[in-house]
Amino acid sequence: MAVKIRLRRMGHKKAPFYRIVVADSRSPRDGKCIDEIGTYDPNTDPSTFKVDEELAKKWLANGAQPTEVVSRIFKQAGIEK
Amino acid sequence: MKNKTVSRKKPLHKGKVLDTFVVMVYSSKGDDMEKIVEQGLLYDFYGELLTDHQRSIYEDAVFGDLSLGEIAREYNISRQGVHDLIKRCDNSLQDYENKLHLMQKFISIKQKVKEIDELTGNASLSREELAKKMKEIAGQILEEL
Repeated sequence: MAVKIRLRRMGHKKAPFYRIVVADSRSPRDGKCIDEIGTYDPNTDPSTFKVDEELAKKWLANGAQPTEVVSRIFKQAGIEK
Repeated sequence: MKNKTVSRKKPLHKGKVLDTFVVMVYSSKGDDMEKIVEQGLLYDFYGELLTDHQRSIYEDAVFGDLSLGEIAREYNISRQGVHDLIKRCDNSLQDYENKLHLMQKFISIKQKVKEIDELTGNASLSREELAKKMKEIAGQILEEL
């Protein structure tokens, strides 16, 4: 099963806020997510990430594919496979 | 840049509590805005000017962080088609911004209001100094409008 780690935008218009979620890639538009592993807030200066490192590592080890943005965030956070 | 490690009970959202949510808090180096964030903001300002079809796909790409392949499969169009559509949307949104500068004004005014907010919390300033600084910022905001 193809599982992806992606951002999901929450928050209000003009005040974006993102959750980092683990979701199935086969039905990407249904809004369901398997797990939430963190948040990303670009409103603060500098922007802040909260990542549950344990969960992130667990999902990466299980073969979940992070999207480009998420892998950049993980890289900054020092989370590797 | 690593800031600190916090370990605490923290509800992620209503109805879901992870008992030991070990959170790492990081802050970026204050570099450029992530592209997806910028696209999202531009969409907030000018999104309604796109067609329904464009909006639906652009929202999936920017709010849902879906890949080209995933969008292509969902809408039964080619990856190339999705890519072109997103590019076209990017261009028209950027075009509106270049002409109207709504986002730029929004960001700069927000920044100035934040400065005012910080000033009011600053106890070391005298009334006169405070008034002078406020007036300065107010002038800048008025100029921007």
